[in-house]
Amino acid sequence: MLLEAQNVAKAFGNFWAVGGADLAVAEGEIVGLIGPNGAGKSTFFNCLAGDTLPTSGRILFNGVDVTHASSEAHARLGIGRTFQVPTTFEDMSVLDNVMVGAFLRHPHRNDAREHARRIVEMSGLRPDQPGRSLGTPGRKRLGIARVLATEPRLLLLDESLAGLTPGELREAIALVRRIHESGVTIVIVEHIMEVIMTLTRRVLVFNQGRVIASGTPEQVVRDAAVIEAYLGRGAQRHSRERKNL
Amino acid sequence: MKYLLSARVGVCLLAALLLLFPLVFSDPFYQDIAVAFTLAAISASAWNIVGGYAGQVSVGHSMFFGLGAYAPLLFYTLFGWPPLVGIPIGILLSIALAGLIGLPTLRLSGHYFSMATIAVAELIRIFFGTWALVGGAIGLQGPAVARGWWDLTFRSDLPYYYIFLAVLGLLLFVTYEVQRRRFGYYLRAIKASERAARSLGVPVRLTKLKALALSATFTSAAGSLYAIKTGFIDPDSGFGILVSVQMLIVAALGGAGTLFGPLVGALILVPLQTAANTWFGGSGSGLTFILYGGIIVLIARFEPGGLFDFWRRLSPLIRRRVHAA
Amino acid sequence: MIFLQVIVGGLLLGAIYALFSSGLTLIWGMMNFINFAHGEFVMLGMYVALLVVLYLGGGPVGFSAAAALALFVLGVAIYVALIRHVVRGPMLSQILSTFGLALLLRYSAFFIFSANFVSLPQTSLSGTLDLGGIFLPLAQLVAGAVAITLTIGLHLLLTHTIVGSRLLAVAEDRSAAMLMGIRPDRMQALAWGLSAGAAGIAGALLAIAYPWSPTVGETFGLIAFVTVALGGFGSVLGSLYAGLIIGLIEATSAFWLGAIYKDIVVYGLFVAVLWFRPQGLMGKA
Repeated sequence: MLLEAQNVAKAFGNFWAVGGADLAVAEGEIVGLIGPNGAGKSTFFNCLAGDTLPTSGRILFNGVDVTHASSEAHARLGIGRTFQVPTTFEDMSVLDNVMVGAFLRHPHRNDAREHARRIVEMSGLRPDQPGRSLGTPGRKRLGIARVLATEPRLLLLDESLAGLTPGELREAIALVRRIHESGVTIVIVEHIMEVIMTLTRRVLVFNQGRVIASGTPEQVVRDAAVIEAYLGRGAQRHSRERKNL
Repeated sequence: MKYLLSARVGVCLLAALLLLFPLVFSDPFYQDIAVAFTLAAISASAWNIVGGYAGQVSVGHSMFFGLGAYAPLLFYTLFGWPPLVGIPIGILLSIALAGLIGLPTLRLSGHYFSMATIAVAELIRIFFGTWALVGGAIGLQGPAVARGWWDLTFRSDLPYYYIFLAVLGLLLFVTYEVQRRRFGYYLRAIKASERAARSLGVPVRLTKLKALALSATFTSAAGSLYAIKTGFIDPDSGFGILVSVQMLIVAALGGAGTLFGPLVGALILVPLQTAANTWFGGSGSGLTFILYGGIIVLIARFEPGGLFDFWRRLSPLIRRRVHAA
Repeated sequence: MIFLQVIVGGLLLGAIYALFSSGLTLIWGMMNFINFAHGEFVMLGMYVALLVVLYLGGGPVGFSAAAALALFVLGVAIYVALIRHVVRGPMLSQILSTFGLALLLRYSAFFIFSANFVSLPQTSLSGTLDLGGIFLPLAQLVAGAVAITLTIGLHLLLTHTIVGSRLLAVAEDRSAAMLMGIRPDRMQALAWGLSAGAAGIAGALLAIAYPWSPTVGETFGLIAFVTVALGGFGSVLGSLYAGLIIGLIEATSAFWLGAIYKDIVVYGLFVAVLWFRPQGLMGKA
C-alpha cells in the first residue's frame, strides 16, 4: 500500500469532525472522497496532507509513519496537495509559481526552470502570464501544475475541478487523467459526481465524520445510506440556491 | 533582450552618477546629503530583504542598527581597538539576536512579528540607557583624532561616501543574487502564502530565519558605518523607533520587495528630509515627522507597491501616448 | 503601609490601562488588525479634556464625555477614510497605515501643543483620601473606578446586547453575518468608534490624575500591546485582568527597582509572553 490511514480521528473541542476513518490506497489508483458539506472529508484530507494533526490514528506513506510530519516533510516525501481555494503567488508569473515547486527536486535555477517549463507546457498555461491575472480555471490549473513540479508519488486534489464550465471541466479531467497515466497515484475530494464517475474506480462516502459506504462509483450511488445523506444535502442546497437569487 | 539591455544601461548610468556625484558637487553640504543617502539606502535595502521580499514587516530593525553602531565604539572605548574591529562583532551579535527573536516570533502571524520587533527594540533602547558600561543615556564616542587610516576617521566626507557606496553596491549585488536563486523564490512564495509555500516543500521558518539573519547582517553594518562616521552614538540615535521607521518608509516609498526600490526611496526621501529640516528649522518642531507620517499614510492608502509599482503601471500609458503622437 | 499604597495605586492605573487596551483588543479580535496609533488616541483624549476644561469649562463628567465623543467620531472617520481601504491590502500597507497615522497624530500634537508637560487645572476631584492609613489622591481613585466600570460595561455590551452580538458575528464570519442582514462595514466602523472612544475616555481619566506630553501616546500604545498580548487577542475581560496585572507589576517594580526600570520590566514581560505563550495568558491554546 502506498498510503494507509488507520482509524484517523480529529476533534475540534467536543466536535468530532472525523470519527475514525480508514483508507488504503495502492500505487497507481485513483480514489475519490465524496460526501455532503461538513461531512469531514476535508478535515480527513487535511490530515492526509499533513496540514492538520489527527487527534488519534496513524497515517503511513510507503510504510513510513507520517502522522506527525509537517506539510513540508510531506512534500519532500512525495505527497503533493492542491487547495480548495487556489493560493496563487499573485506577484509571480505562472512559470515562477511553478518554479517554487520545481526547486524542491532541482535546487539550481536553470534545472528548476527547465523542469517548470515542461510542466507549464503540459498544463496549457502561458509561462509569462502574471499570477494575479489568472481566472478561476487558470488558478486551478496553476495549482495542479505547481504541485506536479514537486514530483509527487501521491497527489491529493482538493476540489480542484469545482467551479469550472463544462468545457473547462472536460479539459481538466483530461489533465488529471494524463497525470495519472504518468504514474502518479491520486486521491481526489470532489462534489461533482461526473468527475468521480469518469475518473475513479473506487469511492469513499463520508457523512458526519464517518465513512458510510465505499466501492465502485456505480455501487455507491445505489447505496441506501448514501442516497439518504445526499437527499438531505440536496434539500439544503436547493434552499441555498434560492437565497442566492 | 531589448529590455535587458536598457536595464543594464540604466544600472551603469546610475552607478556612474553615484560615483561622480560628490566630485561634481564638492560642496560639503551636498556631500553630507550624499553620505546620508548611501546610509539610508543601505539600511532600507537591508530591511527590504526580510520586510520587502519575505513580507515580514519588522518595525524594530533599529535593534540591529544599534548593535552595529555600539559595537565599534564600545570596543574602542573599552580596549582602544580600532572601530573597524567592532564591525564583525556587531554583525555576529546581530545575527545572534536575529536568531533569538526570529525563532519564537517568525512562526507567528505577521502582526505579531511587527509588534514583537518594536518591543524588543524598545527594550534594548531603554536597557542601554540605564547600562553604565555602554555609557547610559549619554552614549559612547569614537576616536576624536585618527591614529591611522584603520581608525576610519576622516576630515572630509568623501572617503566615507565611497566606502558606504561600496557597501551599498555589495548589498545590491547580494540582493540581486538572492532574488534570482531558490532562496529568493522561496521568500516571495512565503510572502504570498505561507501555507501554499509549505505545501510545496518550502522550509518556511528556516527560510524566514535566514532572511532575517542576512538582513540583520547588513543593517548592523549600516549602524557601524553610521557610528564610525559620526563618532558618537546614544540609545536614541542607535535604537530609537525613528531609525526603524526611516528604513520602513524609504523602502516602502520606492517599492518594498524590489531591488532598486529602497534606492529610489532614499533618493527622494533624504533630500526631502534635508529640505524639510532647513525649512522647518530642525526637527525640534516635529514638522519633519508630520511629513513622514503623511507620506507613510498616503503610500499605504494609495500606492502600497511604492513608486516602482506606480511607474510600472504608468510607463506603458506614456509609451502609448508617445507612439500615438 | 507604603507598599500597600503602591499596590492600590498600581491597580488604579492598571484599570485605566485595561480600558484603553480593551479598545485595541476589540479591533484586533474583530478584524485581525493592529492599530499602531491606539496610544495616540489616548493622548488625543487627554488634550481634548484639556481643551474642554480651558475653553468650555465643565467638570470631569463633561470633559470625559467630550473626549469619548470626539474620539468616537475620529475613530469612525479614520476607519472610513483609511482603514477600510487598506484592510484587504498587503500586510505592509496595513502596518504602514496606522503607523504613519501614529506619527502624524503624535507630532501634530507636538507641533500644536509643544513638547512641554501639561496637566489639567484643579478640578473638583483634587484632594487626598485617607483609607485607613493608605493615602490616595481622590482623582486616581475615581478615575480607576470609572475605568473598571467602563471596561466591564464594554464587555457586557459585546456579550449581552444585540449590537454586541452583531459585532461578534462579523468577527466570527463575515459572509455569514452578511447573510444575516448585518452590514460588516458599518459594524467595523462602529468598532473603530468604540475602540477610539474607549481610548479617548481613558485619556480623559488619565488626564485627571497625571501630567502628560504629546509623546505619551508611544508609551501607552506599547502598554496596550503588552496588555492585549497578555490578556489574549480579542478578549475584553482578558484585557481587564491583564491591565490590572501590568499596573501592579509596573508600580511594584518602580517601587523596588526604581522608576527607570519599570519600563524594562513591562517590555520584558511582553517579550516573554510573546515567546512562551503567543496566544496570551488567558487566550485559547
